[in-house]
Amino acid sequence: MLRQELGDFCSIVCFKAAITGMEEALGEKATAIALMAAGRTRGKKLAKELGLTGINLEWNLIADKMDFALGINGTKLCKIEKIVEEITVIRVSTSETVCSAGEPQGSPRKCTFTLGAVWGALEEITVKRLKGTHIESVLRGGSNDIFEFSPLV
Amino acid sequence: MPINAGKIENILQNFVSGTNDIQGATLVSPDGLSLASVLPNAMDDEKVSAMSAAMLSLGERIGSELSRGNIDRIYVEGDKGYGVLTNCGDDAVLLVLANQSVKQGLLMLEIKRLTEELKLILM
Repeated sequence: MLRQELGDFCSIVCFKAAITGMEEALGEKATAIALMAAGRTRGKKLAKELGLTGINLEWNLIADKMDFALGINGTKLCKIEKIVEEITVIRVSTSETVCSAGEPQGSPRKCTFTLGAVWGALEEITVKRLKGTHIESVLRGGSNDIFEFSPLV
Repeated sequence: MPINAGKIENILQNFVSGTNDIQGATLVSPDGLSLASVLPNAMDDEKVSAMSAAMLSLGERIGSELSRGNIDRIYVEGDKGYGVLTNCGDDAVLLVLANQSVKQGLLMLEIKRLTEELKLILM
């Protein structure tokens, strides 16, 4: 069912209200687990659709493809600024994430769905199980929301 | 010290294969990632892991909101069997699946032994 007049997008206010409502009913932790799991599923599906499964491309090209799908030309979940791989970790810099949108400076909120979406995509691309964490937030002095991923032993 | 996933999987494998009535077991991190699992083929390890962590977290919230104290175990009983979620220290949650013919007392005793063994490895 297509929305003929309203189109594909809905307000962040409603998305955030759904999250805070779930947090009130289920608790922050259970909600975060569910949103991260949902994000990972979304990210994996997206990477498959983009033909990135197991692909051996430079990270800047992968970042461009993901940004095209998720950023200003895509679903507007977040902008993917940069992906950098260091010895044992992959760091993804994002901005304008839906999870941080509308939050006051100093808010303790962490990215859940956005982290999960990037996480799932990277797992599909690298064909590895990864552990992801949100290591820097625009809500707590960072210039970007940065996610770090390391192989899950 | 890194978690020895292979050793944990061996312990789970022995636990599952040692009793006919136990159908599967998985150990997951509190944020819903699988550490080791021995599950029936039809079950998606990732989904089971996220569900287990979310259920235990929800149980903890129920314990706190409804003044039930600290939650050690969540018990799901269906007409085809049982699913028992047990806190396994700060770093892990254990899910055990058993069929309907299992002796419940024995199941609980086996789970207690297993969590003690796993806690030693996770320390």
